[in-house]
Amino acid sequence: MSEEWQREKMVPFWKIWANPIVRRYARSRLRPVSLGGVLLVFVLIAAFIFFSIRQGAMGQGQLELMDAARLPIVPLLVLQGLILFMLGTGQVAGAMTAEADEGVLEYQRLAPMTPLTKVVGYLFGLPIREWVIFAATMPFSIFSMWQGKVPLGVFLEIYSVFIVAGVLYHLTGLLAGTVMKNRRWAFLGSMGLVFMLYTVLPQVAKFGLVYFKYFTILPVVEESFAYFVPRSGQMVIQTMQELVPTARFFGLNFPQVVFTLISQGILILAMSTMLWRRWRRNESHLLGKVGAVGLFAWVQLVILGNALPLIETGQLFPSREFGRRFGRFAGVDPANWQPEAWEIFMMIGIFGVVTLAMIWMMSFLIIPNEEGQVRGWRRVRKKGGSRLSILSDPATATPWVFLMVAIGSVGWFTFAKAIVGSRWFPEFQLSSMALLAIVMVLFTGGILVQTILETKGRKFTILAIILGGVLPLMLGMIAALTKDELLPAGVWLIGISPMSWAMYASQVVVPIDDMPADVIRGIPLAFWFWQGVAVLLSLWMLNLLRRTRKEIAEKTK
Amino acid sequence: MSAGAIEIKDLRVDYGDFVAVNDISLSVPYGEVFGLVGPNGAGKTSTFRVLATLMEPTYGEVSLAGIDILENTERAREVIGYMPDLAPVPSDLKLWEFLDFHADTHRLGNRKERRARVDECLDIVNLTEKENAWCKALSRGQTQRLVLAKTLMHRPSVMILDEPASGLDPLSRREMRHALQKLAKGGATVLVSSHILTELAEMCSSLCVMNEGNLLASGTAEEVRAKLGKKERSLRATFLAENEAVLRWLRTDSRISEIRADGPDVTFHFVGNDEEQVGFLRTLASGGFGLKAFEEEGSSFEDILVQVAEENRKS
Repeated sequence: MSEEWQREKMVPFWKIWANPIVRRYARSRLRPVSLGGVLLVFVLIAAFIFFSIRQGAMGQGQLELMDAARLPIVPLLVLQGLILFMLGTGQVAGAMTAEADEGVLEYQRLAPMTPLTKVVGYLFGLPIREWVIFAATMPFSIFSMWQGKVPLGVFLEIYSVFIVAGVLYHLTGLLAGTVMKNRRWAFLGSMGLVFMLYTVLPQVAKFGLVYFKYFTILPVVEESFAYFVPRSGQMVIQTMQELVPTARFFGLNFPQVVFTLISQGILILAMSTMLWRRWRRNESHLLGKVGAVGLFAWVQLVILGNALPLIETGQLFPSREFGRRFGRFAGVDPANWQPEAWEIFMMIGIFGVVTLAMIWMMSFLIIPNEEGQVRGWRRVRKKGGSRLSILSDPATATPWVFLMVAIGSVGWFTFAKAIVGSRWFPEFQLSSMALLAIVMVLFTGGILVQTILETKGRKFTILAIILGGVLPLMLGMIAALTKDELLPAGVWLIGISPMSWAMYASQVVVPIDDMPADVIRGIPLAFWFWQGVAVLLSLWMLNLLRRTRKEIAEKTK
Repeated sequence: MSAGAIEIKDLRVDYGDFVAVNDISLSVPYGEVFGLVGPNGAGKTSTFRVLATLMEPTYGEVSLAGIDILENTERAREVIGYMPDLAPVPSDLKLWEFLDFHADTHRLGNRKERRARVDECLDIVNLTEKENAWCKALSRGQTQRLVLAKTLMHRPSVMILDEPASGLDPLSRREMRHALQKLAKGGATVLVSSHILTELAEMCSSLCVMNEGNLLASGTAEEVRAKLGKKERSLRATFLAENEAVLRWLRTDSRISEIRADGPDVTFHFVGNDEEQVGFLRTLASGGFGLKAFEEEGSSFEDILVQVAEENRKS
């Protein structure tokens, strides 16, 4: 009966224009007095970009109208990105935090709307001014593309990805605003995240982690770049497009736009789930146990799926792009390029670091605190039960971390095997201890952080990360850089830090001799020694966690 | 379980090891103004937040107007009107816009119909003249009234008001009291908490006292006073004139203490049950002291609350 009532009364989530939260922000953020000034400024900037570049290219540059009209397209995209991605995301995060801080968010919590309708309301309501300003600059882009004879398909590809990316970043801001308490930090943090997406992540893509590039609009822009420059710039474009790896996913070749939309769509789904969970129940974890492991497995799969096809072509290796770009200046002949041995160490190590970081990130999302456990136990006991459901928020994250360790080990080992087995490195072989080293790193790294988090809480964990992770790394690096005699000590000190384990494991997985002798000797010794210690510590922590959870369960009897 | 407008069964709220609400059960009939009284930390706000669907309890069953709020949260929100303590308002909306937004979330018809309801609610709380003012420009009392208007907007059948009278001047308080009683007469059930206890006693048809997460007593004001009032009865006797003899006589009785004389009036504390008090009075009246009048002073609600709070501190 109640479901029929809901269907009749409530606004469905997809009816954005009828969403009361969207209408509320349309009213407050689109007042002519405040909108007018901002709108005028951005329209003037867009007009200036359009006319100055186009007229300059036609006048001083002597270009034909079609070529000149193409030149403002990318600068206009940058301006629109600034409006929608940076300002919009910052606005969403800041306003969300402010609503929670002022207490008015509770009124929306009380509104008889489904959690998803509320998420959609905030997603499109809070940045509504930025969407309107973005729309106001669109005529200049449309006119440029029309005069530049850019095919309609290219226009649609670019702007469909642009809009989906906007929604993705706004969701990130919404999530930051929901989780963070400080308005300024939420605002700056979410803008910083977008900035990082366009500056740091493209660099990460050069180290084999191509997947992260698909969180941006860059692959699609690069693919269509030929239409955004005068016809005379064909040579430049061809060179650039050769640098752009196609969206290969295992044996499949996707158009960039499709793979970008799939990648961003999955992330939108994951973030919407997190927000939905929070709106449905304020005390919920952002992701459930299955959701977190599922997201981890998906990210592993796409990183691997993107990276493997680039190994044989050589596009995975940073030195290839360096050789292509700066070969002439550096005395490297791009035609006879060959990856360096250190790139095996680097690429395998980075894959491990990212895998371990992902396990940590997911652990943070699914670990129950003591309060949650007490409530969970009391609820179970009231209903006459004696066990927490393994899927529930108060249940331990240990089995799920084990699962992630298993998935991550498979992914990491597959990647290492593919690199070593490629045509580039016939002289190298996987060590017989490779799989053991990989499993140990993910097991000890994953379990230690999870068990410390679950038994001691977040503050203690952060302190442990600083003292046990960052400090040895810094001290070891200082020692190693001071003088050669201290290099072995530096290697041992760095080896304490779980952040170094994946890189050290890389040298164990595929021993290379392209490093100083002290390092070649020291890394495996330090690795196995510290892994031995870490295994003992992990087992001790697992036992401590078991006892702590038992105590919590006992006291609720 | 859904006989009353508000039905609470075995409600518990924990914050880690701290038990904020400890297995309370309560039933409030339809059309009643029900007060929740207790010192700070008694568990009132936690109870209110669970009832308002803002917080999930550790366990327990709660139904409002026959709707299980944990099973049918969205539907329950249609019948709930919640006014939080220190009610906030958005700084970027005008009064009518704030109310219209809430009317919209409750799907109260088209723009014209919503506007009519907004005007009606502004009129109830005497803020019609301010309809185009910014919410942030209101005084504390006006803000409280605005949030009350928001709470009334969708004609809720259960209203949950946390300290609604705080910050209001005496006139506004009286208006609010009348408004709530009028709503209750119209069939709404009002659950209200306040620290102005005498006012709560006047406003509420029944109430309950909470302390340390437990329900100490519930019923009419008189019933609660009788249950939680001091065991010592405060008695006042008026004599024809000042009477030293009666004071001497009173001092000889071990059940009497705290004797104070003010002209012909004498007040004192008596420890004993009703029958003992009847016997004591019979002796006093027949003792030739010139007893003219006699009165039993009940414990005030303030006394009760102070007593509860002091017991808290001691424990």
